[in-house]
Amino acid sequence: MEAVLSVKDLNVVFSGFKALTGVSLDVYDGEIVTIIGPNGAGKSTLLDAIVSKSPVFSGHIYYHGKEITNKSPHEVARMGIGRKFQNPNVYNELTVFDNILLSLKGTHGILSSITSKLTRAKKGKIYDVLERTGLLEQAFEQVSSLSHGQKQWVEISMVLAQDPSIVLLDEPTAGMTTDETYMTGEIIKSIAKSHSVVVIEHDMEFVKQIAERIVVLHQGQVLAEGSVQEVQSNPKVIEVYLGRETINAAA
Amino acid sequence: MANVVMGYKQSTFPAKLAVISGIGLLIFIIFPFVMGEFQVSLMSKLLLFGALAISLDLVWGFTGILSFAHGIFFTLGGYASAYYLKLNLSAEGNTYGGELPDFMVWNGLETMPWFIAPLKYFPVAFIAMIAVPALFAYVVGYFIFRSKVSGVYITIITLALSSALTTFFISQQAYTGGTNGITDVSKLSFFGTAIPPIGLYFLILAYTAFVLALGWWLTQSNFGLILRSINENENRIAFLGYDVAQFKIFIWALSAGLAGVAGGLFVPLNRFISPVYLAVAFGTQVVIWVAIGGRGTLIGPLLAALILGQVQNYAEKVTQDWQLMIGVLLLIVVLFVPNGLMSLLPKQFNLSNLSKPKPIMPANTVQDSP
Repeated sequence: MEAVLSVKDLNVVFSGFKALTGVSLDVYDGEIVTIIGPNGAGKSTLLDAIVSKSPVFSGHIYYHGKEITNKSPHEVARMGIGRKFQNPNVYNELTVFDNILLSLKGTHGILSSITSKLTRAKKGKIYDVLERTGLLEQAFEQVSSLSHGQKQWVEISMVLAQDPSIVLLDEPTAGMTTDETYMTGEIIKSIAKSHSVVVIEHDMEFVKQIAERIVVLHQGQVLAEGSVQEVQSNPKVIEVYLGRETINAAA
Repeated sequence: MANVVMGYKQSTFPAKLAVISGIGLLIFIIFPFVMGEFQVSLMSKLLLFGALAISLDLVWGFTGILSFAHGIFFTLGGYASAYYLKLNLSAEGNTYGGELPDFMVWNGLETMPWFIAPLKYFPVAFIAMIAVPALFAYVVGYFIFRSKVSGVYITIITLALSSALTTFFISQQAYTGGTNGITDVSKLSFFGTAIPPIGLYFLILAYTAFVLALGWWLTQSNFGLILRSINENENRIAFLGYDVAQFKIFIWALSAGLAGVAGGLFVPLNRFISPVYLAVAFGTQVVIWVAIGGRGTLIGPLLAALILGQVQNYAEKVTQDWQLMIGVLLLIVVLFVPNGLMSLLPKQFNLSNLSKPKPIMPANTVQDSP
């Protein structure tokens, strides 16, 4: 089976500092890949490189077999890669509805954005997305009035509205309560029914809830890969999370 | 639940907005019949400044690009129109009786420069009025926005451009008339008949109304939503699939074209154009209108230009220091009403609220939003 997203021997260098060294990763259709690793391991950098936020020094990124390395961010996004950032990166001045409207696929040109109408189909799509993330009741509230957790869901909704075939989520549960975290896990599982998902996460309880395959990054390199049990019993992983019996305490 | 929530009201015709703009327009239509010739001419000028302020509001208020260069676009349009009117002076009207404008004769030019000659024809001059500032803005914008210069650096570039162009126009005396600019132009005429001041007033009123309507139409669409998002966080929107630079270049060039036509209409009214309007001082004035009126409100900058112009008119009779008053007013607005005077109006009168369809939600899920 051809991978949806394929990262080959990726190197990212920030003025001499090797943020990623020879990272390779394949993401297949409909799977959830969870990336864990200590701070500074290069988790966010990996996502940044995929969406062209950080320049790739060497190596290749393929999306459905097509090379996307160092394309413009908007081209990568239009091809079908959605990204949620670590801190909720949403439009606080706009309503939830408008945030999602902005993210809908299509109307990305100047003329089409001027002439585009808010059709029934578009509204339907927006409400669908908001229903999946449980934000329907807040649809017409200004985002700035929402809680931190809700803002995270707004951004997840934005990514879904893009109708991407792969969703990259950077710490989607940061700053959430236990209940919110659990609900986010369920949202992600439902997303995975129709999209491939890559999640960066610290919270091991959460990882266990959603994880199918875990990739451990350490100092810019892939340290281990496998199921929750395999990773937890991997001696190299235990060594990295120094002095800790299991990686349960990793967060 | 989704089938209950139908979102925005089906009828999107902004009735309140239509009534208020209708009344506003009516006042301006009656105005010249009630007021004297001086007021008509002053109001014509202020309406053009208002159109210029609206054009800046599109790039600054909505998109977040603070530009001191809007005087440049205004003046480029103004020169296009000034050449047209100057070249259409009758032989008797020209000091030297020939084809060549007076300032070119003084500066030793013997033939008409090829790049000025076509401006004798109205269609060419009219297109130049829009295209010269818009193309200039496009080229500048292309380099600024594609190279991802942003924020305060753009503002500094616009200041530099303004100074550089002022110096350039003054130095090219033979072609531009130097510091004096182009003076003693002919009256704008329509099939051989000079347009009277009241005719010019209505032409200008129509243009300003057009700019306001165009601005409203653009900004209430998805396009406006994109501009506001660029303003709030331009990095995020690229990851939603938008080519941010493309949008910025477009609104920047469009705004320059709108400013250019305002400048073009300014010359038949003012009867001259000079590098004064290229200079930073004039560009700053435009910024002040937008800041005081209210960024992103369209109507606010227009009203600020009208009101401050009237204030200046009366204050000048009393004191030479009227600019000090504007300065104090600006300070008060920036410190206490950072969103401009429009934000003091009750929300219902806000242009964007008037035009925005009210959401309807089922009563059992959400209360009516205020």
